[in-house]
Amino acid sequence: MDDLNSELTGVFVQESREQLAEMERLLLQLEQEPSSRDNLDAIFRAAHTVKGSAGVVECDFIVLFAHEVESTLDRVRNGEVTVTSELASVLLTCCDHLGQLLDVLAQGPHAPTPEMESEGFVLIGRLNQLSGTTSPTITESKVNVSGGGPMSTDNWHISVRFGADVMKFGMDPLAFLRYLASLGEIVGIETLADTMPAGKDMDPECCYLGFEIAFKSRASKSEIEAVFAFVRDDCTLHILPPDSKLEEFMELIQKLPEDSLRLGEILVKIGAVTEAELVEGLKRQQGAARDAESSGEPAPPLGHVLVEQQVVQPVLVEAAAVHQAQVSEKKAKEARVIRVHADKLDRLIDLVGEMVIAGASAHLLALKHGKGDLVEAASVLSRLVEDIRDSALQLRMVQIGETFSRFNRVVRDVSRDLGKDIELVLTGGDTELDKSVVEKIGDPLMHLVRNALDHGIEPADVRQARGKPTRGQLTLNACHDSGSIVIQVMDDGGGLNAERIRAKAVERGLIHADEPLSEQQIINLIFEAGFSTADSVSNLSGRGVGMDVVRRNIQALRGTVDVVSSPGQGCTFTIRLPLTLAIIDGFLVGVGKSAYVIPLETVVECIELRDVAGDRNFLKLRGEVLPFVRLRELFVVEGERPPRENVVVVRYAGQRAGIVVDQLMGEFQTVIKPLGALFSHLKGIGGSTILGSGEVALILDVESLVHRCADAEEQQSRSATSSNRLLSAP
Amino acid sequence: MGNAMKTIFLVDDSATILLSISAMLTKAGYGVEKASNAEDGLKKMSGGVKPDLLITDLNMPGMNGIDFIKEVRKLPALKFMPILFLTTESQQSKRMDAKAAGASGWIVKPAKAEELLAAIKMVMR
Repeated sequence: MDDLNSELTGVFVQESREQLAEMERLLLQLEQEPSSRDNLDAIFRAAHTVKGSAGVVECDFIVLFAHEVESTLDRVRNGEVTVTSELASVLLTCCDHLGQLLDVLAQGPHAPTPEMESEGFVLIGRLNQLSGTTSPTITESKVNVSGGGPMSTDNWHISVRFGADVMKFGMDPLAFLRYLASLGEIVGIETLADTMPAGKDMDPECCYLGFEIAFKSRASKSEIEAVFAFVRDDCTLHILPPDSKLEEFMELIQKLPEDSLRLGEILVKIGAVTEAELVEGLKRQQGAARDAESSGEPAPPLGHVLVEQQVVQPVLVEAAAVHQAQVSEKKAKEARVIRVHADKLDRLIDLVGEMVIAGASAHLLALKHGKGDLVEAASVLSRLVEDIRDSALQLRMVQIGETFSRFNRVVRDVSRDLGKDIELVLTGGDTELDKSVVEKIGDPLMHLVRNALDHGIEPADVRQARGKPTRGQLTLNACHDSGSIVIQVMDDGGGLNAERIRAKAVERGLIHADEPLSEQQIINLIFEAGFSTADSVSNLSGRGVGMDVVRRNIQALRGTVDVVSSPGQGCTFTIRLPLTLAIIDGFLVGVGKSAYVIPLETVVECIELRDVAGDRNFLKLRGEVLPFVRLRELFVVEGERPPRENVVVVRYAGQRAGIVVDQLMGEFQTVIKPLGALFSHLKGIGGSTILGSGEVALILDVESLVHRCADAEEQQSRSATSSNRLLSAP
Repeated sequence: MGNAMKTIFLVDDSATILLSISAMLTKAGYGVEKASNAEDGLKKMSGGVKPDLLITDLNMPGMNGIDFIKEVRKLPALKFMPILFLTTESQQSKRMDAKAAGASGWIVKPAKAEELLAAIKMVMR
């Protein structure tokens, strides 16, 4: 038998490969002429044969998958689903998957890997999605019920009335009884011939018999029903379980897993009702519902219908209904989601913000009065306020995935318009960020994505010439990085052309022709106002909205955007955003009589200012050069430098810099109040806040300070006499 | 009934199915006749092959299973022969078509050997 099995498997694998190859060829043809009936039939037959043969060699994983493919094809064949290129491509992928499954089978008695299995599930999901699968429509002939009352006995009671045509289909009623006897013992049987007509009307080729059978068996209800499977549609059949079976059913109901099943599903699952009986019951219920509608009465419940149909005892229906109620109760407890209006949340955040300030003020007063117990109480309060702040902010956190997935459609449509083949890869969709940020990041992202599709990724022929895969790839990625959210838009296109950007910038008067700029500086010019390199303004990008607007939008969210490009390899736009717009942990510092807040997430360490070389704004920190900026000079704060100054070392996007201040006043939770439009041009300040004492403190914009330091360092190192020394001593 | 060996006629376009099922049937003590398409099957039966049961696929290139059994039922000697469809198709409407054409029953592939033999016993006189 083993030899036969391996021979069979061999024949099957070979045959199926041929079928798949044929199916693939036909699918490709189908895409060209979707209405070809012959073609469709042939594709269906191929899938069908693979499935059928797989069943014969008992390769379940191929059967299951091929079944799904076949079902979809059947819907296509029946005109319920139209062939789209998308459907065709999914079907082609299914062919590939089937090929892989065949490989698995050919290699021996292994099951497919979990990866392959999940791939299969994904494909099936897409098929169902594309074909809009619903439950199949059932067009059964009307079944009339007659006779067969319940009998109180420990035997199954089977009541069957054969259809008149049963013999014309090559069936012998006696054969069923003989077969039934192989499942158990026919304890009693009564033959009913009440439908037999008078002699002259009788057709000897017709069957006029019915049987009432008492049957003793351990077989399940569906096994007994299966005996009559071939005449099920043309006969009237009632199978009532013996009373001893009831307890078993009741026990099964108790043991059912707590899924939310419908009543009918529960009864079928425990075997008290067969699927055919359920289908019939549902149909009767529908009919009854229609009748009820016209008479204005409520429709009868399914349980009621099934009992009336004499397929199940009332006590079982009751037990199933109780189980159902228990499950739905439990489900309700599990998923408690409350939808809250966003305004209410915003109001809460506002209040928490005020509370943070009030808490700080109380803490300050407590410290001032120096009463130990008061200070302790204030500390506890502060800690609680901190927790409340975190929880409140958490409420507004949403995953960025939803925003990301909108781009699936954009990429598909745009790439189709452009005639490019581009794949979108989404990663980090579960990264959470503030709802208000998510709402506002959509537009800048859209612009970057469109730009990458339009200008970044080259047409297929160019890509091929450059030795890249013809299918372009666009990746959207999100992650957390030191208190910020990082969102990246990466393409594997041609990268930015520094020469062209430079030429354009000179043409637009943004730079002098001989201005010495590094490549990165040139590339950053794309963010300058009035810059656009597109040779022709296309429909997609270049709508007069340039990268400068993208940058402005992102800056409005207290974020930054920068770009890294490698020629021929693609380019990556990186957006950094604060986690939330409303509240930050700050580090309070003092210069003269003024107080400033540095966002705590950027602070690396604090050191004393020493070893300063002359008038240059550098210091040596553990062997490395650290550029710094003196806030006293930057903001022209009056008063003498104290004998001892401190440096707060900050880091932003990988760059480090020092901020020189007079005093370090410690950590501090702060609510950001935006600066008015009047102050928006000020560099180095990101906002303001109110201290516990009621004074105003400015929040430093660490990014611009770090850039200033870095620029100054570069300029100083290039030319000590540069006229443009932003941060040199006055 | 008698003890003479019963003959089953098998029609399927899949070589895998023909091979496996005929092996299974032979092992179970049945005589087997085979055809790989409906036309061939019809020719053999018109030519006097008189099986005790016909098992046929539904979807076949050329004449399909339903047209095939309609033709078979027209042969006077085979008017009451049980006919089983062995197919992966389980759609109700197809099933009704098959019934109307004169099929006795329907076995959904993949059928295990026991299931198939049980179905055969169920309909065999």
